[in-house]
Amino acid sequence: MNTFLVSARHEMLNTRRARTAHILLIVFIGMVIASSVIGWVTNQTVTGVYNKVVADGLTTAPNPFAGVSPLYYARNAVIYVLLIGSLMAIVLGVQATLRDRKASTVDLVLSRPVATPARLLGQLAGLAVVLAAVIAISFSVSWLIISIINGAPLGWDDTGRVIAFGSLSWVLLTAFALLGMLTGLRSKQETTALLVPFVIWSAVAFVLPQIGTAARPVALLNPVPAVASTGGYFDVVSAFTGPLSLTEQFKRASSMILQDPNVTGEATSSILILLAFLVVMTVVVVVTPRNRMRSGLNE
Amino acid sequence: MSSTWVIASKELLDLRRDRLFAVLIGFLAIATLISVGVAAAAFRTELDAYNLYVQQLTASGSTTPPAAPQLFPLQLLRGGVEYLEILGALFAIVLGYGTVAKEKYRGTLQLLLSRPVGRFAIPAGKVLGLAVVWLVVVAVLTVLTTLAILVIGNAPLQGIDVARILIAAVVAWVYLVFWSSLAIGITALSPRLSTGLIVSIVVWLAFVLIVPQIGDTMDPDNQVPGGLFATLQIQKPDELKVLANFAAFDGIRNGLEVSSITKHFERLSFAFLGIKDKYNQQPLGLVWTDMWGYAITLAAATLASVTFAVGATTRRNLQRKIS
Repeated sequence: MNTFLVSARHEMLNTRRARTAHILLIVFIGMVIASSVIGWVTNQTVTGVYNKVVADGLTTAPNPFAGVSPLYYARNAVIYVLLIGSLMAIVLGVQATLRDRKASTVDLVLSRPVATPARLLGQLAGLAVVLAAVIAISFSVSWLIISIINGAPLGWDDTGRVIAFGSLSWVLLTAFALLGMLTGLRSKQETTALLVPFVIWSAVAFVLPQIGTAARPVALLNPVPAVASTGGYFDVVSAFTGPLSLTEQFKRASSMILQDPNVTGEATSSILILLAFLVVMTVVVVVTPRNRMRSGLNE
Repeated sequence: MSSTWVIASKELLDLRRDRLFAVLIGFLAIATLISVGVAAAAFRTELDAYNLYVQQLTASGSTTPPAAPQLFPLQLLRGGVEYLEILGALFAIVLGYGTVAKEKYRGTLQLLLSRPVGRFAIPAGKVLGLAVVWLVVVAVLTVLTTLAILVIGNAPLQGIDVARILIAAVVAWVYLVFWSSLAIGITALSPRLSTGLIVSIVVWLAFVLIVPQIGDTMDPDNQVPGGLFATLQIQKPDELKVLANFAAFDGIRNGLEVSSITKHFERLSFAFLGIKDKYNQQPLGLVWTDMWGYAITLAAATLASVTFAVGATTRRNLQRKIS
């Protein structure tokens, strides 16, 4: 078996044995599944509120939720992917590369005829398979719950959309796992290795979108997009910060895939930005020099 | 000098030399200042749009312009409070974890435990040290954001506004001490140091992000951009009357929110700063009458967290730690 496959298998085995990572995996799967139920309960209540408003003669406006897609119930899952999923992926990525440095097993591994790109890509492949499995489990159960709520299995179109959403989630999570791998390789301390990607994540998830749209940090955790400030300063700044706000790009593309009526436009540019992020991160990690992989921790 | 104070002084010295700490606090300060600047820019954009609208109205012969948007300076702090509740809590966890982890990594734990220090001196010293650090950090952030309101926001502040900012600063300090103490306790109990950090982060994720997020997304008014009731053009009294029919749902939603200490911090800060419309420009006494329950729970939770940190950081727990 070649280096790539051995490293991939080794990574999957390590993740299976890492009990701490299991906490995050379980929280992620649980919340994605729960998101459908939360979405359904909320939708039922809001429909009730609308009916009451109409019955009281307070509005003649049409029901904003009439005819929404059953996938509307899954919209909270978008937030859990970028919230729990991203942090889970970062932790898995950090542990993957830091583990070898902590235990000094990297010296042993690299004493063999092993190419560093093959080793790192193998580790990445292992993580990618784990992430794909987690996404597959959680979204399959979510599909089942939405089908039960809907009273019939989701059609081919909706199922295809769930698969597309799952694939996009995989792209985002794998890119964040790569960010974790990178800091695991580059940091001198374990704390820094875990913390730096968290700080980068929070800058991408909260600070960048706020600079360009004046959206409040907490409002960014709501699947319903905040009303963005436009004009003057915001038009100029959002042209720069918008493409870099990866989590907002993910929210936008996912909401369109899930047919959220609150989000309009086309998803292609957002998907391309996320794919570009994944490719760039892969290149940056793969070109890590051999001596960097072997550097010890300063703790 | 007592052992507790010696250890607290050592923590202060360590953190003063810690580059990671400087980077974290720098990041928090920059994010907070950006939020004030962005909120001020958003208000100016709104004002420009209003002026343009009034010009067009005047040109069309109308003599009754709508009310101009009004700037309430303390409302510029909303983003900053939210950064403290999310990032501040995360950084407080990292500092709490670091204060235990560094002793193991540097090999100073055995030396520390070989000295004749009291049962509670080590954890109490560490909590005290971090409490002092957070006091300084909050004081610096308070001065910076107050200056940002005056300079970037170009908004005047009254004496009562400064009092409101100081109250919010005290609330923020208590909140940050809660998270640092919790992280000390969890790290002390965890056999592996990295497990302590990851478990603390999972707790942060659950109580700072997930639980409030669920409550927020269950709010009927948050289902449409700009608000459901605004979209349906429903006035506030009618909105309250309609929602009274969904008291059970709202009770569950609110119950979820208040199960998170973060919401207690947020509601207290928003009320005293007048960020929540209901309390804007209201006398402090009236705000206190409504909010004292949250103040008590936040204080009690922090006391419990400090007790947990001091109780869990035993000699036995520290000695069995694996890096």
